[in-house]
Amino acid sequence: METQSLNPVVIMLINMTIVFAVLFVLSLFIRLIHFVDPTKPKKAAPAPAATPAPAPAAPAAPVVEAGISGETVAVIAAALASYGVGFSQVKAIRPANSASWANAGRMNNLNKM
Amino acid sequence: MSIFDAFLVSIQSVWLDSGFAAFTTGNLIMILVGFVLLYMAIGKEYEPLLLTPIAFGCIMANFPCTGFLEVMGVMKVINLGIQYEIFPPLIFLGVGAMTDFGPLIANPNTLFLGAAAQFGVFISLAGAMALGFTAQEASAIGIIGGADGPTAIYMASKMAPHLLGAIAVAAYSYMSLVPLIQPPIMQLCTTKKEREIKMSQLRTVTKFERLVFPVAAAIIISLLLPPVAALIGMLMLGNLFRESGVTDRLSDTAQNSLCNMVTIFLATGTGMTMNAHDFLTVDTLLIIGLGLLAFAGGTAAGLLLGKVMCRLSGWKINPLIGSAGVSAVPMAARVSQVVGQKANPSNFLLMHAMGPNVAGVIGTAVAAGTMLAMLAK
Repeated sequence: METQSLNPVVIMLINMTIVFAVLFVLSLFIRLIHFVDPTKPKKAAPAPAATPAPAPAAPAAPVVEAGISGETVAVIAAALASYGVGFSQVKAIRPANSASWANAGRMNNLNKM
Repeated sequence: MSIFDAFLVSIQSVWLDSGFAAFTTGNLIMILVGFVLLYMAIGKEYEPLLLTPIAFGCIMANFPCTGFLEVMGVMKVINLGIQYEIFPPLIFLGVGAMTDFGPLIANPNTLFLGAAAQFGVFISLAGAMALGFTAQEASAIGIIGGADGPTAIYMASKMAPHLLGAIAVAAYSYMSLVPLIQPPIMQLCTTKKEREIKMSQLRTVTKFERLVFPVAAAIIISLLLPPVAALIGMLMLGNLFRESGVTDRLSDTAQNSLCNMVTIFLATGTGMTMNAHDFLTVDTLLIIGLGLLAFAGGTAAGLLLGKVMCRLSGWKINPLIGSAGVSAVPMAARVSQVVGQKANPSNFLLMHAMGPNVAGVIGTAVAAGTMLAMLAK
């Protein structure tokens, strides 16, 4: 046994078998924990067949003022999406007045976010 | 004249007591190695939290006449912490507090990927024995393939303390090079169709499962493999701190201040083992080569089992998550994510890869335990 256990191939096979066996036992315990878990959400009973609900009406597209490119609209939509605002909630896209003091105030407010 | 003579004698005495008189070419080479490691840590940001203290420890270890490891002092105490395997379990406490076992609990099959990736450990062990290393030395070298620094140090301290420096440096170097080493192997072992597979969302793991898992895992593995009870016990204790919800302060300490302190001691102490006499040998080059073999073999084995699981699951498992079975948490999982997303930009494999990744930590500790049980003198 001593000489056999020092054969590299035998060491490799024995050790790999043990590693797989130990982790297999651990995986069984994880499944067992899940099985006996008293807090796991119960599987919902299949809902009775209901009459199909009417398809929701397509959200109205926002009014985009002439002169605003499709790319700009896409950028605005992406920026809003990053704050969790869907594009369907946008009513209109139009250029802001270019009053520099008002813009500075807006930028100041945005920078605080 | 006599004053001049006394002055000369004093100067000569100071010179002879200084490190310069005993400074060897080997010391110079090792200090240059320390500079290279510092460059990798600071310039290239490869594992800087570990390589910086290792590199500085390497430089300090090559100051002659310091008596660092002979006289009781801070350096000796740090060395004792490594010699008596105190630091690796403490690091595992922090790792446990930082680790989310949720993906593993949600998909326990990923444990097999963590097991398969240990194949590299044993390939390297066989290679090392073929090259003339003893079985004990070969087992310590092989564990580099687990890509788990604390376990590598733990094994080296127990099985081959004289190889500790080379093994630790190889382990941490390859861990930091995961993003460079793994992708070519991943491309080689998988097809584009396999890399594009999108995996479905994992189920929700309840708090009950999160609490019971660390306790059950500590009991099962410690009873099966007592030599690694300290590592696994501390890993699971740290995780229990995290998941219990009532020990936030302990969890915070384990994953931040304590882990940082022990990292400083462990990494500096590891660097301190890199003196020229022990490090500048052919064995070091062999260890670095075998470490790469172990790492590549582990990655490939994880991917190949991933391919098998992919077929068995009806193409629901992306084999790329198999490469994360080598520990290197969370870097290996991140590599799976990056390679998967390159093949399919809408692919999100990170959480799926975290399962085999944390399984790899357990798998490496189990592999270490089996080798300690079988081969320790």
